[in-house]
Amino acid sequence: MTPSEIQILIVDDVQTVRVQVKEILKSCGFEKIQVAGNGVEALSTLKSEKFHCVVSDWYMEPMSGLELLKKVREDAELKNLAFVMLTAECTKEKVIEAIKAGLDDYVMKPFSKEHAQLKLMNTLLKRKMI
Amino acid sequence: MMSRDHDIKLQEFIGELSGFAQTAEDTLKKIESDMMSNKSEFSVFSERMFTIRGTAQQLGLPKIAEIAGLGEEIAIKGSAAEKNSQVRKCVGSLWDALTTVKYLLMNPEVETNEEQDILVNRLQATLKAFGGARETISPDEIEKLLCSDNSGENSGE
Repeated sequence: MTPSEIQILIVDDVQTVRVQVKEILKSCGFEKIQVAGNGVEALSTLKSEKFHCVVSDWYMEPMSGLELLKKVREDAELKNLAFVMLTAECTKEKVIEAIKAGLDDYVMKPFSKEHAQLKLMNTLLKRKMI
Repeated sequence: MMSRDHDIKLQEFIGELSGFAQTAEDTLKKIESDMMSNKSEFSVFSERMFTIRGTAQQLGLPKIAEIAGLGEEIAIKGSAAEKNSQVRKCVGSLWDALTTVKYLLMNPEVETNEEQDILVNRLQATLKAFGGARETISPDEIEKLLCSDNSGENSGE
């Protein structure tokens, strides 16, 4: 697949961040990008349409990014999605919990456009999606 | 000098923040009304500060990020406090942090002043008195952890 064919879902409760991440992904050549404001909205979108990758923040109400990750990995149809956490959460305990839950990669805020691009492309390559 | 694009993003962020700041303020008022019964509300405040910190870091507003980050950690300590006096101390510090964050967001052009530095020192001292911030992890350490965790098994296959 080419980046333009990859379906990506951005999940963040801050619109400013959603817009910024979307711009970064578009500049990488990704065209099929949708957004959700929290884990519940994201899960509903993931179940109704086909996606390849989720880029999610951590703390959101009513469902956090970590809870979303766990739901995705438990779901037979969604478990193979690439899942990248893009967050300011940097406490050791929390990060380890996310990695154990099956995270593909972790981008810590503040991130540069180049760093976010690199992380996402690496994740998709590892998953043999591109 | 800030670019026009950055200015627009900042304005959008400030607009969005009003909702987050209002939630944080309501939370503090609720805790004040019954400190020991409502101390679990500190987690809501902490998450709002987390959001402000992350977005401020991303938009290159380090002073806001620093104060919000200290507020985030003090709120975590507040939720675990065992005495009324400790909860009160946390609430007092968090009012100072929230008020300053709101002021800095409304006046992003204002340079750091002595008053803000004093506040940061005071918040750091409060946090230290409660045992300090949680242990953090660097991007390099995360990378190592991700490498040691077999990514092929991530999906649970």
